[in-house]
Amino acid sequence: MLSRLRRNVNIFSVVSVIAAVLIVVPMLNIITEIFSTPTPAWIHIRDNLLRGYIVNTLILVGFVAVFSALLGLFGAYMVTRFEFKGRKLLSWFLILPLAMPSYIAAYAYADMFSYTGTIARFFRRLNLPIIINMMNMEGAIFIFTLTLFPYVYMLTRSALSKQSAAFSENARLLGANKIRTFMRVVLPLLRPALVAGTLLVVLETLNDYGVVAYYNVRVFSFAIFNTWENLGDTQAAIRLSGVLMLLVFAIIFIERMIRGKRQYSIHVKGRPIPRIPLKGWQRFVLPSILWIIMILAFFLPLAQLIYYATLTFTDVFNMGFIFLIINSLTLAITATLLTVIIALMLANYNRGTQNNFKKGLLKITNLGYAIPGAVIAIAVMIFFIDIDHALFPLYRLIDENSPRLVLSSTLIMLTFAFVLRFMAIGYNSIEASYDKVGTKFTEASYSLKASKLKTLLQVDIPMIKHGLISAAIIVFIDVIKELPLTLILRPTNYNTLASEVFRFAREEMLQESAVPALVLIFISSTLIYILTHYKKKEVPINVR
Amino acid sequence: MYVNIESLDFAYTKRNPVLKNISFSMEEGEVVAILGSSGSGKSTLLRLVSGLEIPTKGKIEVNAETLCNANTFIECEKRQVGMVFQDYALFPHMNVFKNIAFGIKNYSKEAKKQRVLEMLKLINMEEKIYAYPHELSGGQQQRIALARALAPSPDVLLLDEPFSNLDADLKLKIRHELRSIMKMTDMTAIFVTHDYDDAKDIADRIVYLENGRIVHEETIKPD
Ligand SMILES: Nc1ncnc2c1ncn2[C@@H]1O[C@H](COP(=O)(O)OP(=O)(O)OP(=O)(O)O)[C@@H](O)[C@H]1O
Ligand SMILES: [Mg+2]
Repeated sequence: MLSRLRRNVNIFSVVSVIAAVLIVVPMLNIITEIFSTPTPAWIHIRDNLLRGYIVNTLILVGFVAVFSALLGLFGAYMVTRFEFKGRKLLSWFLILPLAMPSYIAAYAYADMFSYTGTIARFFRRLNLPIIINMMNMEGAIFIFTLTLFPYVYMLTRSALSKQSAAFSENARLLGANKIRTFMRVVLPLLRPALVAGTLLVVLETLNDYGVVAYYNVRVFSFAIFNTWENLGDTQAAIRLSGVLMLLVFAIIFIERMIRGKRQYSIHVKGRPIPRIPLKGWQRFVLPSILWIIMILAFFLPLAQLIYYATLTFTDVFNMGFIFLIINSLTLAITATLLTVIIALMLANYNRGTQNNFKKGLLKITNLGYAIPGAVIAIAVMIFFIDIDHALFPLYRLIDENSPRLVLSSTLIMLTFAFVLRFMAIGYNSIEASYDKVGTKFTEASYSLKASKLKTLLQVDIPMIKHGLISAAIIVFIDVIKELPLTLILRPTNYNTLASEVFRFAREEMLQESAVPALVLIFISSTLIYILTHYKKKEVPINVR
Repeated sequence: MYVNIESLDFAYTKRNPVLKNISFSMEEGEVVAILGSSGSGKSTLLRLVSGLEIPTKGKIEVNAETLCNANTFIECEKRQVGMVFQDYALFPHMNVFKNIAFGIKNYSKEAKKQRVLEMLKLINMEEKIYAYPHELSGGQQQRIALARALAPSPDVLLLDEPFSNLDADLKLKIRHELRSIMKMTDMTAIFVTHDYDDAKDIADRIVYLENGRIVHEETIKPD
């Protein structure tokens, strides 16, 4: 027994177990709190507001899911099946909207369509009686669809380019026309990728706080923040989080059901489907649709931001701003490194395993991505305050006048939350590369009596370098534009690019918010460029 | 002649012609093997007959219908041509029943089911009707692919290296099965191989393909 234990104790298992415990304990807090006696605020929310939150959340998520699935599928189908001018450029451009944080697009659009905004003025000059109000549910659906559809696009594009031509050729030989071939063969084979991509979009939509706060769309994350910040009612906020979690689990459950259980490989060896040149009117119309999507999702808000930045650049750009950039970068780099290292340990621990304990541990550590930021934020905050209370005697031992809250007033708390939330993203990218490499090299190294650490450093890491780098890039982009966690968990007076954009927008200083927003977009776009060009192959952003 | 192919030319890219001046014809119920080394253009020839590729020149007629010549081209889904691919390409998301039923048109639901059962009986695999492709062995997949291609009763059946994914023992067994199925259904078939024994065992006639040209024909006398 003891020897078995000792055999199983190594750097990978220790890190994995600790990571799982650190993730479970804060979440348990939420669950236990749900069963305490309800406060009056909660009773009020439950009886009067909860229904509205649920309905609004479902409407928002439902429409965004359907629209981004359609957009993503259309884009992926176009660039993998047809040949046209600008196809290569578009095939990575269509990922670019991920560099445009939803809340930044939301501010830019709200402003362009406001009475004094660029577009509203343009319409008036043309004497067009068009007044579009962005700041409502429809506007939020529009913004989320345009900024999040690339998740669907990336996953379906990768699946489409792997799908063997033999399937659709066979269908046509068996007499199916193009539509039947698409509906009965191409689309069903794409379903897992399509559903997984849509799930990512849904989770990101549930996570958002910036857009819904600005557009005043009363969905769950809006409600949680509001109860927490304005009503100061932790318990009611936690209960709301609990309901939201139920909703998320229901969605994931539904996803599993639609995705289907069947395990099969869709890549029979053989050529991928050759691209057909577009002909006639399609040559102009179909690529134009993609360009319009790109303009709406990226270039139009970007142009607006650049214009505003030229107006406010001199006011905003000063020493303080440089520190802001440094803050954001150090925070993002630290969180990214930690996430990737822990994910690497987890991946090693789980490599090729059929062990249920390990699989369960993994499920837990990858849970973070499914949990909306507002919920994680509250759970982590309570967890750290508890730790501080427990450690207070120790603090006093070290320093007589120690304040009660030490850890929870530092960046450790925020970094912890980032790692918790983005673990799944890092892990999946690394796991995908391990799957490709297989275990034979590692086993060869062990058989040569190399230690686990030596094998990791000298065999495994060099072999999965690409996967590690893409994991790091994806996590970095997510961290640097992250809003809900940053807003709740950052130490007082600690600002990042994202939090500054939010603050300016809240104070109706949209022109000033343009400068930090542009820096964010610039950093993210550059990284996306590197990601899509450094490794010519697929970008693995599959969360599973 | 039931199948008539006349001076067929084809190239994937302008520079490299793959098939040059291919002509041969077949009688109804005849089984012809195309024998040639790798890269000689065997699969390409089948893709032309099935309509997956368009020839640069030449004529293809099957059962008194012109499938393609200088001014007509019938799309592959409208041709009465069945094909079994080198790697079978059974639809992985459909079970055996749905795979076989996929190509059967203009049948009532009941008649469709009858037809599928008939096919399964032919290949001796009735018990696998609701299995999924990944639950079948290579040889079983191969037979299902054959049943699927035969189910719509095509005028001519094309087989691209039907045994290439099978091990030696199984290959012998399936080869005999295939021959008896061909005879039972009286199918007109073209099958591609690079193995002389395969060709001799199944075909009535062997057409030798080398570098995209027919270099020789040989009639097999039944033994
Ligand atoms: N899609 C394609 N595009 C360009 N060239 C191709 C394509 N498919 C095949 N070729 C070329 O055409 C020639 C004939 O190929 P084909 O697949 O018909 O050969 P084959 O006789 O079936 O070979 P094998 O026995 O290996 O299957 C080869 O030189 C091949 O490189
Ligand atoms: Mg071939």
